Amino acid sequence: MRGEDPTRGGPPAALDVPRGWQTDRSRAPHATKIVVAGGFGVGKTTFVGSVSEITPLRTEAVMTVAGEAVDDRTATPDKTTTTVAMDFGRITLDTDLVLYLFGTPGQKRFWFMWDDLVRGAIGAVVMADTRRLADCFPALDYFDSAGLPYIVAVNQFEGTARHDPEEVREALALPHQVPLVQMDARQRVAVVDTLLILVGRALDTTPG
Amino acid sequence: MRRILIVGAGQSGLQLALGLQSKGYDVTLLSHRTADEVRSGRIMAPQCLFPAALRHERELGLDFWTARAPRIEGLGVSVAGPEPATGGRTRVVDWLGRLDGCAQSVDRRVKTAGWLDTFAERGGRLVIHAATVSDLDVLAGRYDLVLAAVGRGELASLFGRDADRSPHSAPRRALAVACVHGLGPRPEHPGLDAVRCTLVPGVGELFVVPTLTLSGRADLLLWAGLPGGPLDVFRETTGPSEHLARTLELLERFAPWEYARATEVELTDANATLAVGRHAPTVRHPVARLPSGGLVLGVADTVVADDPVTGQGAGSAAKCAASYLASIVERGERPFDEAWMRTAFDRHWESARHTTRWTNAMLDSWPEHVLDLMTAAATHQPVADRLARGVDDPSDLEDFFYDAERAAAYVSSVAEG
Amino acid sequence: MSQAVLCRKPARVRPYSLTGGRQRRCRVLLVETFVAALDTPGDGPPGPPPDGSGPLPPRSVPEVRAVPEARAIVELCFRLRSVAEIAALLKMPLGVVRVLLLELADQGRIRVFDTGHGTGRPDRALLERVLGGLHRL
Repeated sequence: MRGEDPTRGGPPAALDVPRGWQTDRSRAPHATKIVVAGGFGVGKTTFVGSVSEITPLRTEAVMTVAGEAVDDRTATPDKTTTTVAMDFGRITLDTDLVLYLFGTPGQKRFWFMWDDLVRGAIGAVVMADTRRLADCFPALDYFDSAGLPYIVAVNQFEGTARHDPEEVREALALPHQVPLVQMDARQRVAVVDTLLILVGRALDTTPG
Repeated sequence: MRRILIVGAGQSGLQLALGLQSKGYDVTLLSHRTADEVRSGRIMAPQCLFPAALRHERELGLDFWTARAPRIEGLGVSVAGPEPATGGRTRVVDWLGRLDGCAQSVDRRVKTAGWLDTFAERGGRLVIHAATVSDLDVLAGRYDLVLAAVGRGELASLFGRDADRSPHSAPRRALAVACVHGLGPRPEHPGLDAVRCTLVPGVGELFVVPTLTLSGRADLLLWAGLPGGPLDVFRETTGPSEHLARTLELLERFAPWEYARATEVELTDANATLAVGRHAPTVRHPVARLPSGGLVLGVADTVVADDPVTGQGAGSAAKCAASYLASIVERGERPFDEAWMRTAFDRHWESARHTTRWTNAMLDSWPEHVLDLMTAAATHQPVADRLARGVDDPSDLEDFFYDAERAAAYVSSVAEG
Repeated sequence: MSQAVLCRKPARVRPYSLTGGRQRRCRVLLVETFVAALDTPGDGPPGPPPDGSGPLPPRSVPEVRAVPEARAIVELCFRLRSVAEIAALLKMPLGVVRVLLLELADQGRIRVFDTGHGTGRPDRALLERVLGGLHRL
């Protein structure tokens, strides 16, 4: 996440003018969200920025570095901390319907943040980089166990060869019903298409 | 009104929150899960409260489940003999000690969710949030006292390890629990509920604990295996039915007398199995200083994390919460400064140290005199009863348990009647 | 997770209404939950609740007005904001924002809006609307 330019692909800040619904404090639109998860540098913020109507915003939290199950092997006071960032954007879909996109880091030790993010979420886009497919394993495991609908979006970076989707699917041990798309996170149209596929997937898994 | 922030909503965090709330404190409680999420989630590490710990809940009027939970009246200990070539282990030691009063095990999904709801219904400010260092750093300045009851969560690492009080540096047991319906009674005590412990020397321990779960009365089958040994076959990813199958296979192999009553069992629900994360037993320094200078007092297993093998986790948490509650109330309007925090912890440690000592002792292979005590308990009921009561109040063990001569003297005194 | 997250409520707790947060202390503030100030800019002490839902339960609430972070939140919420937006714009940790928002809601200074689907999964009708909205982009 760090090292990505939060503004890349997003509209300029000048466009961050208030929407009509923001100025009426007597009512609020339906608020929905989609989680965008994946490894470091996979393009989460680019994805969010490509479609967000605001310059992506960032929240940061300092957490202790330890926190894996076995953290007590060291005898020293383990006070090292690290900063974890979450970038998010917003899309007004209707006068009374707003969608948020939350980009969240993929490491297992940030599961506590995912617990928070999946509450009430439509689903998750797990972003994958074919050069580092293993980076998205924790996210896949997590959304499987949380029962949250998800799809995998393989971000096509310039200069990387396109891969046979079936090979990627196999490498990720992805069930056949989980959609896998190849896309370019810099292209707004591609991002919107990806979101459409996710929401379609969520509909498939939601009883009528 | 004094403002207190409690981070973490397990046994100790909730008991403190509800206790302080009942005494008029303005309590804010941070929980990373809602009551419904707890209720519908995975089973957690099992808990069993022995009478002394249970008394603290009762004093606060928080023993909501006493009428429905099995009344645990004793502690049974069996020691498995060596595996004969023909299979079929037998017991070389087998006894049942009576407790003073009843112990109780309630599924933490039931208890935590119920207490969370109660805290909110009584007007407590419950904030659903997984707290980070950043949060505490800012919030500390807004409260008279910040308590971290986060168990082994990541915030626990704010508290430095106290090497002098932490003899173990690696995890000593791998725990796997399954909650089942349909377990039969032990044929020799058909009408009596007891925690049954089977010790398999060099391999680990089996605990069978009558419990109350979401669907009513049930039993916990809990294997505590030496890491890398034959019981260490459960993983986070082991599916529920496979988990139960392995549990039963091990029962048949290492404790056939327990397997005999487990042939009809089924899991209580889809979330009724857990391979508990393994941790080295650790005592930490009780006060953490945040980057901004704010202080946090660690509660229960955040700072005294014993191995779960002696089943003292929840009881220690209840005792710590009760001790801290008394210290806080006695402090009145004076500041909760660092010196007070250390005093409050020392007061708790005065009792907790006995539990830690005993638990650490049980993790090592037993010296001869402990085996002798266990054997003597099979023939002398007072020894069995006293060992059972030691689980309730480990300080009593100081008098006879750790020293060969005193153990022998105690057994002789009982034998001579 | 289900709608019921918003409280398994005893009879003495009044039903949830859009005034938000005043009777319920087990409200879940999601990152996308919208909040808005009940004060108007330059306002004095908060007026009566606009829906006539009556006084707060007898429970002392600290004077959050004195806390600069709380004041900053109220000022930001003169426009409708989500919880995450407040945290990001004020560079304030998410947990601090959640705690302060619940205190401000207790004081009747901000209102917390329901997301429309609680903390459970959105239903089909809502998903269809999201799908339609994305198609129109």
